[in-house]
Amino acid sequence: MAVLTTSHPARALRGSGLDRVLPYLMLGPTLFLVLGVVVYPLIDGLRSSTGFFRFGRQIRSVGLDNYAQAFNDPHFTGAIETTFRFVVLAVTIETVVGLALALLCAREVRFIRRLRSTLILPMIITPVVVGIVFRLIYASDVGLLASFARAFGLDAPEILSTGTGAFWGLVFLDVWEWTPLLFLILLAGIQSMPVEPFEAAKVDGAGPWRTFVDHTLPLLRPTILVAVSLRAIDALTTFDQVYVLTRGGPGTSTQLISIYGYQTFFQFQQVGYAAAMMFMVALVVVVVSGFAIALMRRRGR
Amino acid sequence: MSEDNILRRPISRRDLLKLGAAIGGAGASAAFLAACGATGTSSAPSASAAPSTAPASSAAASASAAPSTGGKLVIGAFEDGALTPFKGTIIPMFQQATGIEVEFLTEPYDSFFAKAFQDGQSKAGQYDIYIMDDPWIPQYAAAGILEELGQHGIEMDADYPKPFADLGFWPPREGARVKGFESGDPKLIALPTIGDLQTLTYRNDVFPTAPATWDDLVSAGQAAMSSNKIKYGFVFRGVKGNPVVTSFYPIFRSFGADFFDDKWNPIFNSAEGKAAADFFVTTLKSLAPKGVAEFDSDQEGAAILGGDAAAIIQYSGNAIKSDDPAQSKVVGKLDFGVVPKKVAAIAQIGIFIHGVSASAPNKDNAIAFMKWFATTEAQTALARAGDLPVKTSAFTDAQAVKDHRLLPVALAQLTAGAQARPRTPDWSKVESIIGEALNSALVAGSGGGAAMDTAAGQVKDYLTQQGYYS
Amino acid sequence: MRRELAGRVAWALAAIAAVAFAITPLVWMILTSVKSNREITQDGTLLPSAVTIGNYVSLFSGREFTSYLANSIIVTTLSVAIALALGTQAAYALARFRLWGGLDRYLGFSLLMVRLLPPIAIVIPVFLVAQQLGLLNTLLGLIVVYATFNVTIVVWMMESFFREIPVDLEEAAMVDGDTRFTAFRRIVLPLAAPGLVATGIFAAITTYNEFLFALVLTSTPSAETMPIGAATLIGRINVDWGAMSAAGVIGALPIVIFSVFVQRHLVRGLTMGAVK
Repeated sequence: MAVLTTSHPARALRGSGLDRVLPYLMLGPTLFLVLGVVVYPLIDGLRSSTGFFRFGRQIRSVGLDNYAQAFNDPHFTGAIETTFRFVVLAVTIETVVGLALALLCAREVRFIRRLRSTLILPMIITPVVVGIVFRLIYASDVGLLASFARAFGLDAPEILSTGTGAFWGLVFLDVWEWTPLLFLILLAGIQSMPVEPFEAAKVDGAGPWRTFVDHTLPLLRPTILVAVSLRAIDALTTFDQVYVLTRGGPGTSTQLISIYGYQTFFQFQQVGYAAAMMFMVALVVVVVSGFAIALMRRRGR
Repeated sequence: MSEDNILRRPISRRDLLKLGAAIGGAGASAAFLAACGATGTSSAPSASAAPSTAPASSAAASASAAPSTGGKLVIGAFEDGALTPFKGTIIPMFQQATGIEVEFLTEPYDSFFAKAFQDGQSKAGQYDIYIMDDPWIPQYAAAGILEELGQHGIEMDADYPKPFADLGFWPPREGARVKGFESGDPKLIALPTIGDLQTLTYRNDVFPTAPATWDDLVSAGQAAMSSNKIKYGFVFRGVKGNPVVTSFYPIFRSFGADFFDDKWNPIFNSAEGKAAADFFVTTLKSLAPKGVAEFDSDQEGAAILGGDAAAIIQYSGNAIKSDDPAQSKVVGKLDFGVVPKKVAAIAQIGIFIHGVSASAPNKDNAIAFMKWFATTEAQTALARAGDLPVKTSAFTDAQAVKDHRLLPVALAQLTAGAQARPRTPDWSKVESIIGEALNSALVAGSGGGAAMDTAAGQVKDYLTQQGYYS
Repeated sequence: MRRELAGRVAWALAAIAAVAFAITPLVWMILTSVKSNREITQDGTLLPSAVTIGNYVSLFSGREFTSYLANSIIVTTLSVAIALALGTQAAYALARFRLWGGLDRYLGFSLLMVRLLPPIAIVIPVFLVAQQLGLLNTLLGLIVVYATFNVTIVVWMMESFFREIPVDLEEAAMVDGDTRFTAFRRIVLPLAAPGLVATGIFAAITTYNEFLFALVLTSTPSAETMPIGAATLIGRINVDWGAMSAAGVIGALPIVIFSVFVQRHLVRGLTMGAVK
């Protein structure tokens, strides 16, 4: 398996005449779009992150005050902490479950294709719909769990009405939705592993657990690393599902950083402050993903 | 292995055909669903025209300054049950009376709040009239996105109850004003649309008459719960932010507490405010379902209509469902009353209020609507259709009162005490801070007073930052 | 023999459990969508006591779901097509030419970073710019934004595909009289087609599912997409559970149908090129 390789070809084409400008012409439209839709707005946003806004208009420039303010804002630091806890817990569980499923589905039996494509269903479903699905499960009055509990004469479990419940409810939602991604990547990793070490282990009479620890895991480690990075980068910016499921509540128990940023800008109209917070988050994500991509590239070589 | 081989293999013509079929299939299913939709009766623009209307709407946006060309009027509103009679009766009536075609667009509360504001700020001209919740007025007005109505010959006549009428002016006619608007004449920028306010809905088999005080409500509620007559003595909205603060408001104000002094210093952590908060998160929670912290008006409504709750305090949008056998299991057992009192009996006013966008493409039609809607004829029709009207004369219309027994109760509540939320553009943030603290205390079932302290500190910091005291 | 049977049974049980885990939530949504609202909120049954299609009818007659669906399909199709057309060229340029200042080595990577930026950080400035350009509430605005995010991923994935195709093949064709363009079309493109399809699938799924930008950039049914339409039903004042579940089903349907059709190429598409 090659992972996100960008190894150079042995030889690039020689440029001469029209060929000298051709590549720039070919790149032009793409660069135009990216500059217009991402780079310019980013610069614009950077500028507003140094302003103080009232009623949607910038009143004065405040330099870096908005950035400083974030560190004294318990909601911001709290949201960072919640986001971090969410990502670590969700991605860890997803990796373990995803690996188990991948091992389960690595054998070739009848219906295996159909099984695999059923298992990846959750990750295809629109995230907003996933949020809806889990509200229908957790709601203490109309939810699946409540209906089940009632059918057995029990009290409805409290999920969205307690901080811990809602947080774990969100983690479980993420696990349901994104374990398939880990599963897919790890399955491909398992399928492309060399067979020799496993045959040797069989000859030596090693049990399945020893084989797994001694051979499967070490061989799979780079793939796991790639899968975990990809998922973690994405999980850091989770928004849709929380927006639908809890809007960050109860209290601040599911207030992820993206939700807080959205509220600060659109609900409270603190334009400058919201921009400053989001730039800090972007910086962290860029550093993390830069690191992850570098890692993948090294693997690819 | 197998999967890998498929991936490595160059794509075949068959695969491309399949891909084409997939796209075609998706298109076909869209067409099928479109056909289903077309059979429905909808006054909204037909969906098959959607792709072509999009470019048109952008054209309209860029030409927002152009004068209105024909008989069209776009009214935007947030989704609420109370708008159903308005939409069903008032709009067709207006269309018939004037020949102006009305497009009525609704969105969920939060997103309409943000989007209508954006529309005004960007002068996108997507709406002519915004139907707002009254706490939005300060922010919208301060940003200058609402047309001043006086210049178009619209005025607030004396038939509007004063608490409603006050909300149409910015800066406020009385009470504390925020910085930047201390001086300046109050200008009329909006007219009340639906005169909504909270009232008590209670089970007449649990309470022989409407409980006059909170103590009455609690003792009768507890008694009914322990005798298994009812599941919950009192149910309310506990979701953080606006819902929990809305439910808390009548208790808080009835205990004699208030949010701000006349210099905008938070005073909601006064002794009365803390007592109210403790009563709310401890005593009232004990009468409510365990999951009340995640309850919004739909669960609250289901509790009363499904026969589980003995009493709730609610706005009219859900209250009008009480007598509808399709929605209520307890028709005939629900009565309306004034909210219980401690030192007062104050309910929250939350009127729907409409103003004209300063960048409205059909401004003349918008003004025409406002003038028409203020007529006695329109107001009476609104009351008879089941909405709470905004004019005293309509509240007392004999026919309307006969059909809708909520009307006299609402008027009684208005007389007993009903107040709007503090009039500051920062109410949304303030409410979010209080709502979060209160919701956390509610989850814990204790610490209401401490939550008020926390919230007061945060509100003070926030308002300091916004320049309230400098 | 018996052990093997036990192993098979254990495997089958595990597989069944996994499938149940994956589909139970969806089945519940479908069940809820055919119940009346009164049954949902007041009776709390597990299985519907009476099946109704009222919730679905309400989506298309009282609400604008036909429009959301059409918008989603238009926006997804066009933005993916534009991204594939532009991105393939750009990727080819990066893979085949040495560019000024080593651009060919760093540009693809930089574009990927754009893709990985948290959407919430970009959405605010993009909103402000779209407002200035009058692109709010238009399908065009959404198409441009989605095409941009899609083009970054197309460049990143296609660049590595092109690099794997030996240059000699093209040069041989050009010696035989092909122009660069015909050589690209006849030789390179067919070889890179699986990559193109996988990338297109990934882009189509993420675009259809996108929520935040659509939420912020549009506010009328004439421009709103399916996820926004579904979220619209979660108004703060009233949750219409029945309609909400029906919206979930309708919202998920196009993407599930699409996935069934492109099943064979789905895996690489979904894993964003991490698996080749």
